[in-house]
Amino acid sequence: MPPLYALSFTAASAYPEFQQFVEKNSHRTVNCAMCHINENGPVGNGEGQIGSFSADEMKQLNKARAALLPGQDVDSPILNQFGNEIIKAIGKKEFVALKAEPAKLAERLGDKSDLDGDGISDAREYLDGTDPLNQFHGDPGKLFWINLGRYKMHVCLAVVAVFAINYGLIQLIKGVTIVQSGKN
Amino acid sequence: MSDTILFVALPYLALFVCVFGSIYRIRTQPFSYSSLSSQFLESKGLMWGSLPWHIGITVILLAHVVAFLVPGLWQSLMSNQTVLMVVESLGLGLSFLCLLGLLVLTVRRLTSSKIQAVTSTMDLVVIFLLLLQVGLGAAIALHCRWGSSWCSGTTTPYLWSILLLQPDTTYIHDLPLLVKAHIVSAWLFLLVIPFSRLLHMFAVPLEYLVRPPQNVVWNNPRRFELQAQPFVKEEARRHFLNAGLGIAFGGFLLSMGTFRNIFSFFFGPRLSRKEEAELMELRLSRLESTVSQRKLELERQAANCILVAPLADLNSVTGKYFIDYKMQPAIAFKGKDGLPLFISAKCTHLGCTVSNKVDEQGKILCPCHVSYFDIETGQPNADAPAKAPLPHLGWVIMDERGKVLVSRNPKGETTGAITAATEATARVYIAKSQEESA
Amino acid sequence: MISVSTALSAISQFIGERFPVDKLNYHSMVEKKEVPVHKMSWGYYTGGLTMFFFMIQVITGLFLLFYYQPTVSDANVSVEYINKYVAGGALIRNMHAWSSSCMIFFAMVHLLTAFAMKSFVKPREITWIAGVLLLFITFTFGFTGYLLPWNQIAVNATKVGLQSVEYVGQYLPGQLSEVPKILRETFQGESSVGQSTLGRFYALHVVILPLALAGLLGLHLLSVQLHGMSQGVDQPAKKSEKFMSIFIFKDLTLWATVFLVLFVLAACIPFDSFLPFPLLAPFNALGSTPAGIKPEWYFYFVYYPLELLPFWVILIASMVCVSILIFAPWIFKGTSRRTLSFITILVSIYLVVMTLFGEKIYEFFKH
Repeated sequence: MPPLYALSFTAASAYPEFQQFVEKNSHRTVNCAMCHINENGPVGNGEGQIGSFSADEMKQLNKARAALLPGQDVDSPILNQFGNEIIKAIGKKEFVALKAEPAKLAERLGDKSDLDGDGISDAREYLDGTDPLNQFHGDPGKLFWINLGRYKMHVCLAVVAVFAINYGLIQLIKGVTIVQSGKN
Repeated sequence: MSDTILFVALPYLALFVCVFGSIYRIRTQPFSYSSLSSQFLESKGLMWGSLPWHIGITVILLAHVVAFLVPGLWQSLMSNQTVLMVVESLGLGLSFLCLLGLLVLTVRRLTSSKIQAVTSTMDLVVIFLLLLQVGLGAAIALHCRWGSSWCSGTTTPYLWSILLLQPDTTYIHDLPLLVKAHIVSAWLFLLVIPFSRLLHMFAVPLEYLVRPPQNVVWNNPRRFELQAQPFVKEEARRHFLNAGLGIAFGGFLLSMGTFRNIFSFFFGPRLSRKEEAELMELRLSRLESTVSQRKLELERQAANCILVAPLADLNSVTGKYFIDYKMQPAIAFKGKDGLPLFISAKCTHLGCTVSNKVDEQGKILCPCHVSYFDIETGQPNADAPAKAPLPHLGWVIMDERGKVLVSRNPKGETTGAITAATEATARVYIAKSQEESA
Repeated sequence: MISVSTALSAISQFIGERFPVDKLNYHSMVEKKEVPVHKMSWGYYTGGLTMFFFMIQVITGLFLLFYYQPTVSDANVSVEYINKYVAGGALIRNMHAWSSSCMIFFAMVHLLTAFAMKSFVKPREITWIAGVLLLFITFTFGFTGYLLPWNQIAVNATKVGLQSVEYVGQYLPGQLSEVPKILRETFQGESSVGQSTLGRFYALHVVILPLALAGLLGLHLLSVQLHGMSQGVDQPAKKSEKFMSIFIFKDLTLWATVFLVLFVLAACIPFDSFLPFPLLAPFNALGSTPAGIKPEWYFYFVYYPLELLPFWVILIASMVCVSILIFAPWIFKGTSRRTLSFITILVSIYLVVMTLFGEKIYEFFKH
């Protein structure tokens, strides 16, 4: 199988309404890799795209597509962990309905889930256009306050240590200067 | 029974005697409310003994008092591993400093004849109790570690219970003997305060910490001449001492905070089996994509022509993707004249791969920023983000024996013709020679 | 006709004035050294800060060197490994990224303040020229280092940067027009950015540039130590403070504060979070180029004008600026510091506006 990247358009490229909303809302560029495995979406011959699936994977995909109601643990071969989490949380039926109001997806997801553990909920990362599966990616302002809270002890100890060493060095130089001028 | 005597009766007796005894002594014998310093009798030993002793014990006592006064805050601070390490190590280190200081003071008090002349029995009791108490404290830090953490559930509530007149020894009932001895010794201390020089603690001479160095001016002419030198030495020494303290303390904190990380850094991360497996899979998949890319590059280096598709398989609506000699994506269509039409699939805007489905207007779409390209001319539509046309590629048709039937160069000039007989077995290739002349 | 001996003695006098080695003793270099105190005195700290950030880069870079792998299949994985699994790896990598931006920022501030204070006049011309070369090396550090993570932004931004080298060819006559293409392929090591490029950029970033910078820095610092701090303002300052006690204490305290600020930033804000996540994906040679490719912020002052104006304008302007920089000691010999400050302020306004608002300006003019 040649390693290709084809994009065929028999099925329309998944749900571009969500991408358009996120880009407009957050002023950040995003691509399909927020929810899908492949950055160009589920349609094509590449990894995580329907054209490259084996029979087993197709079966898995159809099972995932049938998860219309929330609460089912799906492992769709076209979705990444965040995509699967969305389907599990709200079900395929409601997700498709939310195409008309993509902003409401964040509300429906709630803010309990934080898959990458960076302290910003997945729904918030969806609205901010940042990667919900990368703990080092998020809105810089929010990450600053969250991490400052997490590391406040380290910061305090570092401040004390650095200023203690600074004080020590200054005293050392003072002592040396006095001895030198005393000699002259 | 002995618990009640040692941990209920003794504390109350000690507190009563300490409070009232001290008030009585301060009011009736005010001149004895002092540390009874012997500096003028023997000063060198005093400096080497008293300074480390007082520095160490002040910090240690402060920590004990804070842990007692604000147990909630203390417990939350100690729940941070680094802070706990810092406090415990600092405590242990300072207790050794105290012990060293005390040792010097003890030797001084027992061997210097001038000091012996002013030593009372109570002084000996005091110094013995101090050695005992600090020794016990150091032993606890070594054998019953993390006291700054377990004190919040044991000794602190016990002390509060004593002060709030609801004594409850169940908190300390099961503590090791070392700890119990330390507690008893502390109560004995309180008891002894009004009868000894320990009373000077209540004067809380904090000004000592920040007073400027005192320059002794001698009337004696010999000493008068020498005094400038020692003054410079004293001042410089003060700076060096501060320097040493600052750098040592800062360095200590820094190493506490980073030691585990630095060691782990060089030792190397140790992953769980699942993590190792995932990492291996990731590395493998990246290697595989590099391998497949190299294979394609090799094919394009070695072969003079590369098969794209049999002529019969080409379609005018759905193109076939292939990779050209420059390692770029391209699409093979069947043109209006029945011959192949090869066009580059790398969008001239930002390089996305263009779709291979021709719409009713004979155009293919680049989905990234929505540019439409006419497949006959390669031109993008007027308001497309792409400005340059998609170039066409040349091709060669050969029969099953490798004889060239038709070829078209990138400029569009066709040479040769194809007949109905050869059409069935004709195969379309891209040729290296066309690439080089393009 | 100048005779050989006159030329030689002129050269030796020139060097003697620039490198007064008789001052290489404790008395001149430490005891007597004084720093003028005036309203531009804050500028005297900027050089030291740049060097401080460079030292941080060396240390964090050495740590990163233990785990980074410079091959196209492993580079990105090794960086992710450092971030996720290596103890303190994320902090070290982040410090390296933040400190690189800080170093370049302060190098520019140092250039601007040294220019405004007219520190380049005799006998400090060599110091100045070494400094200009150090600046170019610093920018090259940034350019070569940016490629190493081998993600979409790294490779594509490098491609875009190198393409501008090739554009010069259209203005050169005849056979010379091929030279930029050859030059570009020399930088790349092959016909397009790939393993050869990564290999040589790695060698440049880790060994060649550090050695070059260390050498030039040694020269620069020797010259600074021998001549001391320049006057700084047109009317000689009335006050001056001793270097050994007062200035060095302030310098050390400044370094301590700056280090702590850097530490907090590096611990709390991953540098990657400023980029859109599609740009952080591993580079895919056969895939498409994501939108939003642009060089690092410190190249914006060249990049956006390049996008807006014809190439030849930028080419001429760059050549003029570089010449002015190198020959400043002779061009501005007679200029007052007041005028120099004025020029510096104009240049600073341009730099700040183009760096902060370049993208908006570009969008405004393109649509």
